[in-house]
Parts: sequence; C-alpha cells; structure tokens
Amino acid sequence: MRAETGKGGLYHKLVVYLLFLILLLPLAGTLLYSLATSWSATMLPSGLTFKWYVALWSEPRFLAAFGQSLLVCVGALLLSVLLILPLLFVVHYHFPRLDAFMNVLILLPFAVPPVVSSVGLLQLYGSGPMAMVGTPWILIGCYFTIALPFMYRAITNNLQAINLRDLMDAAQLLGASTWQAAMLVVLPNLRKGLMVALLLSFSFLFGEFVFANLLVGTRYETLQVYLNNMRNSSGHFNSALVISYFAFVLVLTWVANRLNKDKT
Amino acid sequence: MSFVSVQKLQKSYAGSPVFENIDCQVERGEFVTLLGPSGCGKSTLLRCIAGLTPVDSGQILLDGQDIVPLTPQKRGIGMVFQSYALFPNMTVEQNVAFGLRMQKVKADESQVRVREVLELVELNSFAGRYPHQLSGGQCQRVALARSLVTRPRLLLLDEPLSALDARIRKHLREQIRAIQRELGLTTIFVTHDQEEALTMSDRIVLMNQGRIVQSGDAETLYTAPVDLFAAGFIGNYNLLDADRASRLLQRPVSGRLAIRPESITLGLNGELDAEVRSHSLLGNVIRYRVQVREVELVVDVLNRSAADLHADGKRVSLSIDPTALREVA
Repeated sequence: MRAETGKGGLYHKLVVYLLFLILLLPLAGTLLYSLATSWSATMLPSGLTFKWYVALWSEPRFLAAFGQSLLVCVGALLLSVLLILPLLFVVHYHFPRLDAFMNVLILLPFAVPPVVSSVGLLQLYGSGPMAMVGTPWILIGCYFTIALPFMYRAITNNLQAINLRDLMDAAQLLGASTWQAAMLVVLPNLRKGLMVALLLSFSFLFGEFVFANLLVGTRYETLQVYLNNMRNSSGHFNSALVISYFAFVLVLTWVANRLNKDKT
Repeated sequence: MSFVSVQKLQKSYAGSPVFENIDCQVERGEFVTLLGPSGCGKSTLLRCIAGLTPVDSGQILLDGQDIVPLTPQKRGIGMVFQSYALFPNMTVEQNVAFGLRMQKVKADESQVRVREVLELVELNSFAGRYPHQLSGGQCQRVALARSLVTRPRLLLLDEPLSALDARIRKHLREQIRAIQRELGLTTIFVTHDQEEALTMSDRIVLMNQGRIVQSGDAETLYTAPVDLFAAGFIGNYNLLDADRASRLLQRPVSGRLAIRPESITLGLNGELDAEVRSHSLLGNVIRYRVQVREVELVVDVLNRSAADLHADGKRVSLSIDPTALREVA
C-alpha cells in the first residue's frame, strides 16, 4: 500500500469514508432505534434505554430461535466438513480431472433460485420414506448444499497452494499411511482455507430466511423466521434483535480470526 | 548381482508407453544419474522405483528382493523432490523427525539422530525455523536431511537442484556428493542438466523417448557418444551431415560426423584456412564460430590472454585432431 498525500489523497480518503458512512448509516440508525425509549415525532430519540435488549434476551421464544439457528448452522457445517474434506482430497489427489466437473456442480445451488428449489425439496421430502419437511433435518441437508460452493472453492484454493501430491508422496515415503499423511500433513495446512470457508458459510446460513421459512416455518423457528413473525411487534424490539444478531456474527468472526492468527 | 536391478520395466499412461523394457543396474554405493530431456521418462522411472507410480510389468530388485509389490512405506527408500515438499506446518526439526515418528523411534533417540543429520547438512541452528523462513537452498538441505534420517537403503533425487539459482546449485551439488560419499549411500539422481550429470555421477544413464540411449561414466559419454542424440545432448558437438563432413575433410564420409569444439585448434599455421564469424566469451573459454570450406564450426579455445583473441572477420587457420573425429549413426 502506498501512502497518499496532498489533494488526491484527501479526495480518496473522502470517498472511502463517505462509502463507510453510507454503509454504516442504516446499521447506526437501527442501533440507535434499539436503544431509544421512543422515537417518533422528534429528530432524535427522547431517551436511551437497554430495556428492549433486556426484553429480547429474556424472551424464551427468541432464545429458542437463536439456539435452533445455531444448531442448524453448526449441523450443516459439520456435515459439510465431514463430506467435503474427504471429497476434495479424493478429487485433487486421485482424480484431478473431476475438478472441472465439480466446479460446475457447485454452481447449482446458486443457479437455482431458493424459491424454486424449495418447491422441489417440498415435493421430494414432503411425504414418503424420507419425509422430513418441517424438521430441522431438511434444513441441515439443504444448508449443506448452500455451504458446498463456499467450502469447495476456499479449500481448493488452499489445496492448490500447498502442492498436495508432493506432500503426500513425501509423507508416504517417510512411512506414513495415507490416513496419517492426510491427518498430520495435509489437514493442518488446510486450516486457513477451512476457517475462511466456515466463517463465510456460517454468516450466510445464519441469515438465511427463504429456505427456513418455506421448508420448516414455525415448526422449528430459526432466528430469521422469528424476526419475520415478529414484524408486527415493536420496532425497537426488532432493532434490538437485528443488532444482537449482527454483533454475534461480528464477534464470532473476530474470535475466529484471532484464534487463526495465533497459531501461525 | 547389482544392488538395484531394474528388469524389463514397462509403464504406459492412457495407452501410450512412457517406457518399455527398461533394464538398468546400480551397484552398492554408486551415484548414478538418469539424464535426459523432459518427457524422456526419467522421472517416471524414479517414481516407479519409489513406488509412487505403479508399473505395468517388470521387476525392480533392491538388494535381491523384488520391491514392485511393496508399498512406498515398506521400500526403505528416501526421496528428495524438486519442490522440496517440506511440511509447511512443521519446524525444520519436526520435518526431519517425521520419518522417525512414523517408525515410532523413541523421543530421545530421535532427537539425537535429528541433530546428527542436521549437522551433516549444516543446519543445526535452524532447527526451530519453519520452511517459509528458509531460503530455497536451505529448504532442499532440510529435505535431504529428512530423507537421510531414516537411513534409507536407496536415495532418490528428483531434480533437486532445478529450482535453485546457479551459485547455490553448484555449492549444493558438491555438498550432496560429499554426503553421499561419506555415507556410502546408493543414489539415483534425475536431471536434465548435462553439467550436473557430468560433475556428480559415478555413472550416467542417458535416456531419450522412454529408452536408455547410453550408459557409462562421464568420460565415456562425453568422448564417445553412441549416436546423434547422445552427441547432441552432451557437450556442444559440431554435428555435420555426410555432405558437409565430406566437404570439410575432403574425403567421402558416409554417416554423420561429430567434432568436439575443443578438439579444434585455432592458429596461424594450421592446415585449413578459416574465417572468424563471431565469438562469445564464456569466462575461461572463448567460443568462436568459424567458417571453413563453407562449413560453420564451433571452436572452443581456452581464454589465456587478451592478446590471443581473434577479432571477427579475421582470417585464421585451424587444425582438427583426427582422433577426436567421431562418426555417429
């Protein structure tokens, strides 16, 4: 990065700060609203209070939704790690040609709009031997497909950077089994890519609404569905919810980044 | 019986053969170089010996035992890669100790052996560093130490110097050879660099298009190439077709003629009149391009003093050592 000086520098800074302001303004407004006693006919709120947060965090329905969201996301991510890591390993180590095919495959969750694919999922899993519409299981499965592209891309980049084949070969010649080589040599070097993938997928899935609402709805209320169902209640309360949700993702990202940095 | 004996080895990829009927022996303690252009099958042969690439048919005997059915883990072979293949998540010490860890060697013994081998490659003070904190040459020395610590029966080096810059390459070349001699380690070295092959090896196996062209010590390969490819690949032979060869020697020549550039003497009282076309300074050698009897020849002359330098366009005469002429198929 080069240091900007003079008029041009000032201009560039101004643009960046302005952009920041525009992006942060709605969030700041929401934050202020969630802290306001009431804010209707005046320029600024008439008073500040934490009562909306207290009310929110003592609301059992919110806590349940929060926990359920967490559970579904963690479940989906766990499933993707368990399935995608070995898949990536096999693709890149044994069948490098499949990578091109996989790159098309992972675009599918993006290519089909959620509203369309949820109709398909409702058809498939609504009845019959695999009926699981309305249960968290279908969400975990569905979220797995959404996480797939993030996970696959991030970890593939990481894999390409470490020269997988030579590392595996070297480890095996030194006496390691394929399993040992994968666990002791390859996996630790994928930590960065894996972390990026998990964070990205988590933030995305935690805020997912369409699938959650259509496939499960109130039968297993997630955070976003809860927020939707509360849309007619107090705006202050809902603002507190949004800010809480945002703060949670922010803190999580920060903690994960810190943990990741310390080890290298 | 040779220590390593490759017999009738065949390997093909997707139907097209990489090599067929390869036979090759390596004696105990010998440093053998597989030399050839890229794609000649030398690296594949090395990987077959290591067990990293399966063979189609044939045998590889190591100390009398056929190792083809064995997995790489059970062959007792050490290997160094062009890319170093150091484990980025481990320190130098952990990298070197990895093989011992896999063999479940006790911690205190492992520590002693790691120290020993790091001393051998002069990297003792780097034990706590990570690979990304080392230079290319240091990385390759760590990789060498890592492959030596398990005391392999056979050491394979797959173009270990190709990714390094020239100065480091020369130094490391001598270091590898010294360590190999000291340990009496049977070693197979793969390279496409003729200079590396000539300076390091007890014996060179020259390969081209999946077959062994010629095998012998550096002197033999350099002075007595068996065919056109060998002559073209090693040294800077003047290769003349029958037509030009006959014109130069003024007697009928049936095959092609190979003349080494340093077997031609430039002077003022030689047998053939010639004209200097161009020259380039290679350091201790000056390489002239001269025209003689409408044939262009490359002549290497030792760079003794500036007074001896022949300017471009100058008329000189030259003589060719008749014993250095080689007719090749």
